[in-house]
Amino acid sequence: MVKTMKWILNRIKYFFLLDIYKGLFLTFRRIFKPSVTINYPYEKAPLSPRFRGEHALRRYPNGEERCIACKLCEAACPALAITIEAEEREDGSRRTTKYDIDMTKCIYCGLCQEACPVDAIVQGPNYEFATETHEELIYNKEKLLDNGDRWELALQKNINSDAPYR
Amino acid sequence: MKKVFVNEQEILVPDSATVMQACEIAGEEIPRFCYHESLSIAGNCRMCLVEVENSAKPVASCAFPVAEGMKIVTNSDKVKKARKGVMEFLLINHPLDCPICDQGGECDLQDQSLYYGKSYSRFEENKRAVEDKNFGPLVKTVMTRCIHCTRCVRFLDEVAGTHELGAINRGESMEIATVVEEGITSELSGNIIDLCPVGALTSKPYAFTARSWELNHHDTIDVTDGLGSNIVVDEFQGEIKRVLPRFNENINQEWISDKSRFSYDGLNIQRLDKPFVRNIENKLTTTDWETSLDKISFLLKQYNSNQIGVVAGSLSDVETMFVAKEMFNGLGVYNLDCRFNGSNFKIETRSDWLFNSKVSGIDKIDKLLIVGCDPKREATVLNARIRKRWLTGELEIISICAPNDLTYKVENLGNDIAILNNADIINTIKDFFQNSKFPMIILGDSILSTEEGENIHVITKKIADSCNVIKEDWNGFNILSPYASRAGGLEVGFIPTKNGINAKQMKKKILEKEIKLLFLIEADDFDIGEIDNESTKIVYVGHHGDKLASKADVILPITAFTEKKALYINIEGRPQFTKKIIQNKGLAVDGWKIFRALADKLGIKLKYNNHQQLLDRIFKLHPEISSINEIVPAKCLKSNKSIPKIKSLKSSFLVKNYYQSCPITRASINMANCIKRFSKKEESIVNG
Amino acid sequence: MDNFFIQLIEILTISSYVLLIVGPLLICVAFLTYLERKVIAAVQYRKGPNVVGMFGLLQPFADGVKLFSKETIIPASANKVIFILAPMVSFALSLVAWSVIPISENLVLADINVGILYIFAISSLSIYGVIMAGWASNSKYAFLGALRSTAQMVSYEVSIGFVIVCVLLCVGSLNLTDIVMAQKSCWFFIPLFPMFIVFIISALAETNRAPFDLPEDESALVAGYFTEYSSMLFAMFFLGEYSAMILMSSLGTILFLGGWLPPLDYYIFKIVPGFLWFFIKVGLLLFVFLWVRATLPRFRYDQLMRLGWKIFLPLSLFWVFVTASVLVFFDLLPNPYG
Repeated sequence: MVKTMKWILNRIKYFFLLDIYKGLFLTFRRIFKPSVTINYPYEKAPLSPRFRGEHALRRYPNGEERCIACKLCEAACPALAITIEAEEREDGSRRTTKYDIDMTKCIYCGLCQEACPVDAIVQGPNYEFATETHEELIYNKEKLLDNGDRWELALQKNINSDAPYR
Repeated sequence: MKKVFVNEQEILVPDSATVMQACEIAGEEIPRFCYHESLSIAGNCRMCLVEVENSAKPVASCAFPVAEGMKIVTNSDKVKKARKGVMEFLLINHPLDCPICDQGGECDLQDQSLYYGKSYSRFEENKRAVEDKNFGPLVKTVMTRCIHCTRCVRFLDEVAGTHELGAINRGESMEIATVVEEGITSELSGNIIDLCPVGALTSKPYAFTARSWELNHHDTIDVTDGLGSNIVVDEFQGEIKRVLPRFNENINQEWISDKSRFSYDGLNIQRLDKPFVRNIENKLTTTDWETSLDKISFLLKQYNSNQIGVVAGSLSDVETMFVAKEMFNGLGVYNLDCRFNGSNFKIETRSDWLFNSKVSGIDKIDKLLIVGCDPKREATVLNARIRKRWLTGELEIISICAPNDLTYKVENLGNDIAILNNADIINTIKDFFQNSKFPMIILGDSILSTEEGENIHVITKKIADSCNVIKEDWNGFNILSPYASRAGGLEVGFIPTKNGINAKQMKKKILEKEIKLLFLIEADDFDIGEIDNESTKIVYVGHHGDKLASKADVILPITAFTEKKALYINIEGRPQFTKKIIQNKGLAVDGWKIFRALADKLGIKLKYNNHQQLLDRIFKLHPEISSINEIVPAKCLKSNKSIPKIKSLKSSFLVKNYYQSCPITRASINMANCIKRFSKKEESIVNG
Repeated sequence: MDNFFIQLIEILTISSYVLLIVGPLLICVAFLTYLERKVIAAVQYRKGPNVVGMFGLLQPFADGVKLFSKETIIPASANKVIFILAPMVSFALSLVAWSVIPISENLVLADINVGILYIFAISSLSIYGVIMAGWASNSKYAFLGALRSTAQMVSYEVSIGFVIVCVLLCVGSLNLTDIVMAQKSCWFFIPLFPMFIVFIISALAETNRAPFDLPEDESALVAGYFTEYSSMLFAMFFLGEYSAMILMSSLGTILFLGGWLPPLDYYIFKIVPGFLWFFIKVGLLLFVFLWVRATLPRFRYDQLMRLGWKIFLPLSLFWVFVTASVLVFFDLLPNPYG
């Protein structure tokens, strides 16, 4: 009996499009609520210190590059975006001769940063690096080191603020 | 057999087994650093600790013999704690530089600290640092990483036999060091890199160029000597990064020589990648295949068949020689020879050129006569096997015309081959071989290349016959050739037939200007001295611009052994394939294809069009090499020739230049560095 | 000679009338796109276009400039003549129907007595634009999109037809002005409320709007029948689609919401001129279009067809029967001649 009643009520509901009206009413109410949009180029949302933006290769305070060509980031990279070639430098230390990141392959997962034993490759807070050509997005070592120099203060701050949780 | 219990599992083990072997039979993995199957037991790393019933302390399983009814536990908390402790001690002084260590990713210490170690260290004092030692141009040392397993020391003592490493000082100051500050001279030195369980000894040429996990491994064989050692070639992004040995009990066990291991860089240097033709201005200019083959067929038509000579070199594969033979025989040219070094002997059966007792036969010989060869430098790994047999004390060795530094005790009968004319010497040899169960004679290809080669072969065969070296189930008469192509060439009959002349005679004819057209198939070691381009045209088929390429009129590029699947036959008559690992360089093609194409140009009908058809044809005509990796034993005929007289010929047949013996090794920078090091050393010895 | 001038003046007059309709119509279309984006943005807590001009008011014109300046790409395998003709047909037909729409009393280009039939015929013809585009593109997405679109429009035209028959039964005339005037006492959406709903839903389907926008189902068909179109050719489809929307809204206004008539016959309401009432009502219906789009997800194709043939058709047929019965039973049949 209850079942039949329910069935009938449901049919009525369907026939009079009650659910549709409910949905329409819901969206109508939303129109009068304030929008949450941030007016992007003029306003920016706050970033977490763990934000994974543009890559950078960092240096030690004495100017020596950190990267030691261990290729762990290359191995960790799920998108195969990183290409490294290594060689012995004149002073016998292990250094890269080539460190390329194809930013168009990169999925910004942050695994390279996690893999790096010397905090050399990091993903900084910069996300505004759109370019006009594909080629410009294939970063070489020079570009990455330059990024590192440019963003060092922010990078150091981010690493410091995340340190207690590691 | 003894009955023991491993983790309550009852197993039977041989009487002489150690606890570790018993555990392995039971399928339990025991971590270890110092223990190695091929080396003596040291028991100094303490990583293999297991618990044995009624023993207060855990015991080092590698050095502890089993006893009847022994109860072994490998997975108790006590064992785990012991391993953790050992691991912590080992890591106290081990630097945390895995990211820059070439061993990283394939490091025993890394793996075992992951599985058996702790994740932290309680050590707060300063770590130890050790000065790096000079181990020569091949082995890079980072001695701070050393954990003193002494595998390298034991290897050089026991297998290589050069006693060049040792441990100095004791306790925390213990260091592995060379005895003299000259690096390691052993031809097997590269193997200590494989043996080192940590990154203390790594390969210098490979340093920092690749990581172990990104390499692609390719099983293939080595062609730098006649042994056909099995190797793994590691390739990354189309480049060969390193060469490692591949275990094969029948040939090289787990060692390879330095030449096999480090000459790979020669494969990229001085390569021929385009055909060249000498133009009117007498300069070699690049051209295409069509022009160069046209030029060759023009040259071939210009001369009589007896004015044409063909010589194959040390790296030629069976296919190339077979097709070249069929093509030239089709033209009526019979002046073919694969014995470019001029070695010359009457060939009656296969046993006349093979290493009949097989390499593994060395493990049971009790008497050995070495005639006119230098096994240490011509077949390094084989020499190590002789030493291993000698170390058991059951082997006596005499030699004629052989060097004295063969890493085992050799009684040298003399360095003049003419002593074989002497009846006393023959009697001495007969006495020596008396009552021998497994006697062996090794006759060097080096001495067969002399003027007296043919007679020496006959006389040695006679000695073998008279000393009962060749028995029904044992053939102890062996020829040792240092060339990878030699056995293959002889198997497919790349030798003069009908009225043809051999390489030695060709040399003479070239000087007499009677050979007008000379085909060199990778035969840079064919020593023809200064050659007159006017009187003799040379067609050079090879992959390196080596010694004779510059003298050629036409140069045809072919692939090296890493770029083709090709058949090589080692000194035992064991056919093995190389593998195509990297791309052909430029326009280079497989050697046999050139002669197949020439045959078409010259109207000679050959019935095969691809590699498989060619192999089918070779195997049909030469069934004894058709079973890959298997040896078909050669029948041995008694020599019925009279004993010839040998002229005096004094030499110890010491190989002067071990590191540069073929186009690949001559192009290699690593090999050149070795040569530089040794020439310096000789100077210093002379000066000092 | 005089005759010629008279004719010329007549042609110019009609042309200026046409321009007077088409010009504002296109501007309406432009702002309809703006409105659509704003409404959907508001529903989704967003801002919508706000950069070009004040509140982004000039956005549609920026879009127009963009579409104008883009390259017209004609696929190599397309049938070029039909390919170019298709958007023109589509656009022209959506404008032609406006000739009989009465915006206010006597404010109509052609007050013909078969107005509703005319509109019905024109909107049926607009299927040709779609099917020509789909066929001439020589692309599977365009072709499938055109097939879907055609089937959908044909299906819903049937139920719209019966809805109109209901209204006609109540009015007794095919003239649109007569239809509006017949609602003086009571707008038809009150007595014919179910038909009003059926009409709105069918109108959504007829104009290929959400939730019935299957012909341009991005996830399945890329963009439907105009997949291969770009720049101005695309813009013409776009304008055609939006002016069809406005047309359907005006038709709904005329049929059910009493056209330009004020809601109540009071003096206050009469101050507002009739065409403004008309615009307000059309605007309300257009808002419903956008509102529905922002609310409902897309139908599945079989659901769409089932709704059209198995629910709307019997329902509207039944309501025609009911309406006719009621009219006859209570002797309420209109007599426009009497």
